[in-house]
Amino acid sequence: MSTERANATETDEPGGTNEAIGAGGADDGGDASDLDGEDLVLGYPNAPEPVIDGESLAAEPGAVTALVGPNGSGKSTLLKGLANQISPDGGSVLVDGQDVHSMDTKALARKLGLLSQESTSPSSISVDELVYHGRYPHRGFFEQTTEEDARAVEQAIELAGCGHLRDREVGSLSGGQKQLAWIAMVLAQDTDVLLLDEPTTFLDLHHQMEVMEIIETLRDESDVTVVVVLHDIEQAARLADRMVALKDGEIRACGAPEAIVTEELLADVFRIDAEVVDTERGPQVTPIRARHEDTE
Amino acid sequence: MSGGRSVAGESAARRASEGRLGWLFDSKLVTVALASVAVVVAGGLVQVSFGAYSMTVGEAWRAVLDPAVLLDPRWLLNFLVGEGLMRSITGFQGELPELAHGTLIVWNIRLPRVLVAAVVGMNLGVSGAIFQAVTRNELASPFILGVSSGAGLMILLTLVVFGGLSAFLPLIAALGGAVAFLIVYVIAWKNGTSPVRLVLAGVIVGTIFNSLQTGLFFFADDIGVVQSAIQWTTGSLTGTDWEQVRMALPWTIVAMVLSLAGSRQLNLLLLGEQTAKSLGMSIEKVRFALSGVAVLAAAASIAVAGIVSFVGLIVPHMVRNLVGSDYKRVIVGCLFVGPALMVAADVGARLGMGVLTGADSQIPVGIVTGLIGGPYFLYLMRKQQSMGDL
Repeated sequence: MSTERANATETDEPGGTNEAIGAGGADDGGDASDLDGEDLVLGYPNAPEPVIDGESLAAEPGAVTALVGPNGSGKSTLLKGLANQISPDGGSVLVDGQDVHSMDTKALARKLGLLSQESTSPSSISVDELVYHGRYPHRGFFEQTTEEDARAVEQAIELAGCGHLRDREVGSLSGGQKQLAWIAMVLAQDTDVLLLDEPTTFLDLHHQMEVMEIIETLRDESDVTVVVVLHDIEQAARLADRMVALKDGEIRACGAPEAIVTEELLADVFRIDAEVVDTERGPQVTPIRARHEDTE
Repeated sequence: MSGGRSVAGESAARRASEGRLGWLFDSKLVTVALASVAVVVAGGLVQVSFGAYSMTVGEAWRAVLDPAVLLDPRWLLNFLVGEGLMRSITGFQGELPELAHGTLIVWNIRLPRVLVAAVVGMNLGVSGAIFQAVTRNELASPFILGVSSGAGLMILLTLVVFGGLSAFLPLIAALGGAVAFLIVYVIAWKNGTSPVRLVLAGVIVGTIFNSLQTGLFFFADDIGVVQSAIQWTTGSLTGTDWEQVRMALPWTIVAMVLSLAGSRQLNLLLLGEQTAKSLGMSIEKVRFALSGVAVLAAAASIAVAGIVSFVGLIVPHMVRNLVGSDYKRVIVGCLFVGPALMVAADVGARLGMGVLTGADSQIPVGIVTGLIGGPYFLYLMRKQQSMGDL
């Protein structure tokens, strides 16, 4: 039933860049990779009901797709499903037409990188060592680091802007600096598809902007297909080429940011009354009040 | 650990140019290794000098370095691989040349015990280091995942019920440890394992096996059997010989090589399951394989010395505090610190009672490691802010 519903919303979806949706395959030209989730049913072993029940999502190749939605809407679950961290109870995830579940784990990790929401590491490891771990899927069991590894690490550290931190111990860094180090690690993985789970949450404004700029650089200067879960809808609108709004495990809308960030959608998905003003830096959202009436 | 930074910095600059083994020449690691070797040599000299037949340190040195043994491959092989194999390797059929009295005592009785201690310490240290990384819990030790209780139960069963099998006691003990670990793994498995489930299952299986062990004591009708059982379950090096060296050494070498080879996987496991998985590691396979290596190492030490407590828990701790958390260095550090702790503890076990009470009796080395290890661990707990998660 919810599959029908998802399809229904997709047809409702206003204009925008939906050519990529459901395109599948590698026929989009260019080097950018496709990431398609088809009819995904995702849940956790201990929960009776799946969190996501039959949703499809296609990330636009070489662009940034942002997943937004309230707490518990299933956006992180969806991202984990796309990253093969949760195996789906139904449906499949395809990277360039290949099912991620049947792919060799290292081969998948060379194609698809994931930055999880909370990452832990031993505190005495240096940033440099951490970033080198990103090269794991590129190395054989006994292989040493190669020139290529060194180059990828240099690039990643430069792009993440944490060159000044590379000899510091991860345990001694602030939350924002840690996040930059972890981003550098996942960049060093050198994947075609990059999934980021709330990379800006809990960061101060400066580091939020740093992270945003990294993603902007990826969008503008590389072919990496990025899917990012964001809490802040304005940030998402500024960053993304396409936005996907989730509520209660269902995709309620997807399309260009201007089409998604509307007062109606904010009322429906986020249950707030808000004022949306289009500015040259994308839509500006001023939340006014929470809606209390039960809309169900 | 401010020094760690500069070390990491140097290694970053060097990394591209340095070869496969460049990381070995980390100044802290070298210091730790040299200090440990010094402890082993000192402890070893004490062990070979003192005892019922006392020698001066100089005499002991001369006995250890006696060219009659060191320069005679027949004698060396006789010790290392056993007489039968020595004869088939060298084709030598006559009588081995006679050795001086001191040399005979040192090489036949005292030196092998030091070697067994070193091998046991090495195995326990590395085994503990692996288990701590696999469970991502610094309270894990070779024996928390059921290994010790399984081995202990089999030892008691053999001694009390199947007395006829006591010739195979070491093998049976090691097997018991491995089987208990498998049981723990199966219990913990539910769509994969998690560190917490592994530790919990280990504790529960351990408790059940320990109850069975205690129950078995009531069926022992001979005080000698009970004493022997206690020696095995507390860990003892009394009466160890070249036979024990020959039994443990091959497995030790295998386990040490495998654990060094697996150190990069261990490093990645420390980044957490999610990260390791997203970097393309087949977590379950790696975790099981590495646990297998750790069980092998623990089994090799149980087979020759019984269940020596605390070494597997504190050696990795000491090493991490000294060289940082990079597992390549941690494993190498354990290869040195483990023997140092074990040889030193065995000095106390063999000679301590004599010094304290004048009595000519030995205590199981496991009691000494418990007495050193427990307080050291408490000290760590007081000193460190957080304990538990690695």
